[in-house]
Amino acid sequence: MRAVYVASVIVVAGCHQVPSPRGGGAIPEPAEKAARATEPSPFDIDVPDGYRVELVGDKLTYPTGIAFGDKGRIFVIESGSANGPARLLELTPQGTTELATGDHVPWTGIAYRDGALYVAEGGERDGGRIVRFDLPDLKQTVLVDNLPSLGDHHTSGPVVASDGWVYFGQGTATNSGIADRPEQHDIPCRDVTLAGTNFEAGGTSTGAYLPFGTPSEKGQVIKGQLPCSGAIMRVKNTGGPVELVAWGFRNPAGLALDNGALYATDNGYDTRGSRPVFGSADMLWKVEMSHWYGWPDFSEGRPLTASFYSEGDGKPRGFLLADHPERPREPRAYLPVHSSADGLDFTHGEAFGYPGSAFIALFGDMVPAPVGFEIVCVDPRTGDIAEFARNHGDKPGPASLKKQRGFERPVAVRFDPSGRSLYVVDFGVAGAEPQPESGRIWKITKEAHHADD
Amino acid sequence: MRTTEILVALVLASCGAEQRIEPEAPEVIPATRDETRGKHLFQKYCYQCHPGGNQGLGPALDDKPIAEAAIRTQIRTGVGSMPSFGEDWLSDDQVAEIAEYVTTLHKASPARTAYR
Repeated sequence: MRAVYVASVIVVAGCHQVPSPRGGGAIPEPAEKAARATEPSPFDIDVPDGYRVELVGDKLTYPTGIAFGDKGRIFVIESGSANGPARLLELTPQGTTELATGDHVPWTGIAYRDGALYVAEGGERDGGRIVRFDLPDLKQTVLVDNLPSLGDHHTSGPVVASDGWVYFGQGTATNSGIADRPEQHDIPCRDVTLAGTNFEAGGTSTGAYLPFGTPSEKGQVIKGQLPCSGAIMRVKNTGGPVELVAWGFRNPAGLALDNGALYATDNGYDTRGSRPVFGSADMLWKVEMSHWYGWPDFSEGRPLTASFYSEGDGKPRGFLLADHPERPREPRAYLPVHSSADGLDFTHGEAFGYPGSAFIALFGDMVPAPVGFEIVCVDPRTGDIAEFARNHGDKPGPASLKKQRGFERPVAVRFDPSGRSLYVVDFGVAGAEPQPESGRIWKITKEAHHADD
Repeated sequence: MRTTEILVALVLASCGAEQRIEPEAPEVIPATRDETRGKHLFQKYCYQCHPGGNQGLGPALDDKPIAEAAIRTQIRTGVGSMPSFGEDWLSDDQVAEIAEYVTTLHKASPARTAYR
């Protein structure tokens, strides 16, 4: 008798299922007890009924990205730490094999297309880069370098379109446009005219887009240039000049294509520095060519002059720009404040359920309360957000804090080529006491119904 | 080259329907048109601080009964660091739709607590 696997008949449209209490899917009790004897454990992760969680990679050091090559090959990158070391690994059922090492850490993302891997190198100390690794010999070609990643946020992405353009993100150097230390300041993508608002810190006065200690004047024009801060740019997969795709982002940490449309996650402002902003959400944007998305004067399409952003310790003190390129559009989804929305991917067809939905890794933050540390499903047509995979319990949090063995800090997600499994890159223990070799790769699969004929 | 040991994917036994534990918590299914619209408005204006009705930047909304009238007032006047949403942000109808949806979060809360 031959087993016939029948795809689930329930096509789930939109994001409305809730995680079931049985992380790791339903399994016989003895098997679950045996699994709990080892660490880590997929059974501490709750997912909706009909999905199964597996651990497929362990003891990784701050992994940040995953890509699927031809013939079932799986590639993973380390390290998301500015202390490195950066490594390109191949993930197999037997373990991981080191394929290449590099610098310009932290490495923040990886993509595969047509026999080549593309890596976003964050370049916190020596500038960001986008590098192509040609398979099988892994010959490296730097497509773009000296990206302005020496400040608060890194180079991110990449995604590679069918026409050969490689899209990547570049975060801002500062939280909200004002440098708080000598080595950082932002670069506008196009000319901007300043309102002349200056901020006092460290015994000096600093204006927008200017080096620390340099005040601005009303009407002062800062010339735009490429590459720039807070932008999504693109370069051909053979190299050449960088083009601007869109700007006015703060930290476009994750990029994904869905039927030719580009989407980006964007980390909202923090309540810190000389221009703190309160209550700024993380966002999912649909990226339109040449559009300006609001940084440093808008959050979620809303002006920072709204009183809300001045609550608590927030002091945005009005606009930095005398004129705005345009009124920013609304994001496709408003994600939790400080959740750190990072990597995302879209379902391929209906193999995983949730057709047309985006899955987003929320890296998580602890202040003022634990938020994030999970995978959410977003319907970009409605903006509806639903939890999809999270650690067991009634409050979010990293496994190390919850005394569990599930997610620590999900940082990226990627569907496999079949579209049936979602791979989750778990950065591992971060924060004040980061732990090497605490990173993991989880695999979440939609279970097929099984019948004999 | 270095090979690192990893934990190979755990072999999970296949599971029939009889082994599955059905979630005790029903999905929050808005019962009225207002609640459906209220959910969308909640996702746009409230979710970022009360994700899923849980605690985030703001307090949890699903752990206590709150009268709709009190919710409407709180949206309009704000409290603590919560902003007030005036008529330039939300119409009276929209405030009412959000308030109605927030009450459904609490209706689902006891069951959710039971299975977690």
